[in-house]
Amino acid sequence: MASPCEVLCETDDLDFARSLAQYAASEARRIDEKFSRYKADSVVAKIHQSRGRSITVDEETARLLDYGEMLWRVSEGRFDLTSGILRHAWQFEEATHEPDPQRIPELMRYVGWQRLQWAKPVLTLPAGMEVDFGGIGKEYAVDRVADWAAGESRDPVLVNFGGDLRCAGAAPSSGAWHVGIESLARPGQPVKRIELTSGAIATSGDARRAIVIDGKRYGHILDARTGWPAPGAPRSATVAAPTCSQAGSFSTLAMLLGADAVPFLRAENLRFWLVN
Amino acid sequence: MQLKRKPVGATLAAATCSLLGSLPAAPAAAQEAKDWNVDTSLLYYGEDNGRVEDVSLLASIRRAFDEDRTLAATLTIDSLTGATPNGAVPANVPQTFTGPSGGGSYTVAPGEQPLDTTFLDTRVALSASWQQALGNSTRWSVGFSGSDEYDYLHLGLDARLERDFNLRNTTAFIGVAYGQDEIKPVGGIPVGLAPMGGEVEDDGEDDDDGDDDGSERGRDADGSKDVADLLVGVTQILSRRSLLEVAYSYGQADGYLTDPYKILSVVDPVTGVPVAGSEDEVPYLYLYENRPDSRTKQSLFAEWRYAFDRDSFALNVRFMDDDWGVQSQTAEARYRWNINDRSYLEPHLRWYTQSAADFYRTVLFAEDAVPGFATADYRLADLDAYTIGAKYGLRTDRGEFSLRLEYYQQSPTESPGSAAGDLAGFDLTPDMKAVIVQFGYKFDF
Repeated sequence: MASPCEVLCETDDLDFARSLAQYAASEARRIDEKFSRYKADSVVAKIHQSRGRSITVDEETARLLDYGEMLWRVSEGRFDLTSGILRHAWQFEEATHEPDPQRIPELMRYVGWQRLQWAKPVLTLPAGMEVDFGGIGKEYAVDRVADWAAGESRDPVLVNFGGDLRCAGAAPSSGAWHVGIESLARPGQPVKRIELTSGAIATSGDARRAIVIDGKRYGHILDARTGWPAPGAPRSATVAAPTCSQAGSFSTLAMLLGADAVPFLRAENLRFWLVN
Repeated sequence: MQLKRKPVGATLAAATCSLLGSLPAAPAAAQEAKDWNVDTSLLYYGEDNGRVEDVSLLASIRRAFDEDRTLAATLTIDSLTGATPNGAVPANVPQTFTGPSGGGSYTVAPGEQPLDTTFLDTRVALSASWQQALGNSTRWSVGFSGSDEYDYLHLGLDARLERDFNLRNTTAFIGVAYGQDEIKPVGGIPVGLAPMGGEVEDDGEDDDDGDDDGSERGRDADGSKDVADLLVGVTQILSRRSLLEVAYSYGQADGYLTDPYKILSVVDPVTGVPVAGSEDEVPYLYLYENRPDSRTKQSLFAEWRYAFDRDSFALNVRFMDDDWGVQSQTAEARYRWNINDRSYLEPHLRWYTQSAADFYRTVLFAEDAVPGFATADYRLADLDAYTIGAKYGLRTDRGEFSLRLEYYQQSPTESPGSAAGDLAGFDLTPDMKAVIVQFGYKFDF
């Protein structure tokens, strides 16, 4: 999951606590490995090796592809599971300069859900294109663990994978889970404290994954139609929703809408917190 | 563009159900934690028989800067009116008393308990504290307090350090406090055990400015005292439901600890009749009280708290012992009945008993040598007291409202040997009853 993952639990049932920890760790690892770009035997590697041939995917992969297609449709192409390849132009970790203006149009030829064929369970991905579940995999893993915990016990549980989190069971004895939204100026210091008693919170946009060049800031969430971040986007968007998948999708869509993030989130009648 | 045309929430919800193979999840409940907490209350305290009444307005505000740092401040304004016992005993004759400035004279009817009706005051108190974490398991705080009345000024500083041990099941704390009080009574500090009015050579000229500090009468204009307290304690979680706190405190007060407005009657040991005074304006003899100029107190406190599934219960006891001979025991219980998610009822019982100070007297006898220290202040008498009451709280979207009603009764026990002659016919240490009504409102923003 490329980030610290934790599960908090308030229980006096030691067996439940143990099996919860085991399930969370194994499920996170399983999803991570199954959809990793880097593991040779991952589903994603197999899809990339198909080089234009049709392949039949398993049920779980099909559900994630369906979900990705739905996000592509409602975002009218802004969100796209095939946009991961743009990482070759945008290096957010250590970049000091804007991407090569030539490089983005070259890569954009390999971006676009409309270029592939998806007829469940058969996927046909043109050679050179990639799919990347990074935008939805972590939230999916959080929901899997939270759903499992809710099925096992009513004791309060909070599943937190790198700041995308969801609670299960009853509210904790303190009344609510306290979640801090990190300050950009002072990492580690929360600027806002949120009390969560039910549902999920996810954040898109990350202070540490952005580049600033000549005073202009580029976030790492790219509009798949242009290959560039949406102008006017907040630095980060934190959204509360019933599930982590929904919260993550709303926060990503908000970032992709740039300056329209606020009217969008308001129209969806969501609780949200932006860092600008 | 679909995102801007119509909400996509329903589409996302349906797609999530397919993705997770689950039914729609319950709505999210998330809200921003409120950084400011405001707690306000209006309190009425009223003693029976026209004694003290206090209307007190309190406002406190707390600001949490993050999980670890908190600033708190409290402002209290008290308006005190009524009358308070001056220490003299009833007599079969009218008694006239004069304030130390020569003014403020009042007369008490035969058989009545002498009450100082000139008692009236407004007190403003302000306190502030800052608490901060020091690492994961240690917290410290520093505080300031000050209060001002027309004849009294208090300034204090305090600090506290607490540390968690044993997987946060044990918390040990240590606190220190230092206070300095200035007492500036009207007319100055009377000489202890000197006759009331007797030391005044009244030349018939009033002080023009009305600000009589008594200095021209050979009195000290003011007195002061220093109070230092040390507190050490430990809180131990006993089980998931119960907690025990034990604390020991040691306090040392030095300086002017006497009440400048309190007096003692001097009576004939056989007839119990007040002895004649030497002054026209004060026909009988009364002596100003006098207390030692240092007091050392120790107390031990223990509280046990227990949480039931819905309700909670707290029981505490306190034992206090000082070098004036006052020993007290307090027992107090509270039960919080959480009627539902929004309201609670909290019955409260408190019982208190103390022994008298060594130098407590109801009266002084004319033929006895004047003791070094003496007071007739009922607060230093043998007494029992209890409080019974309840608080009702109602949480609404706008904050929490509460109403507290309490009844207080104090029963001093008469000292042996004070029933000489006429005095046997009077209740020298009458019971005092009081009611407390407090309306509270607190909210966050």
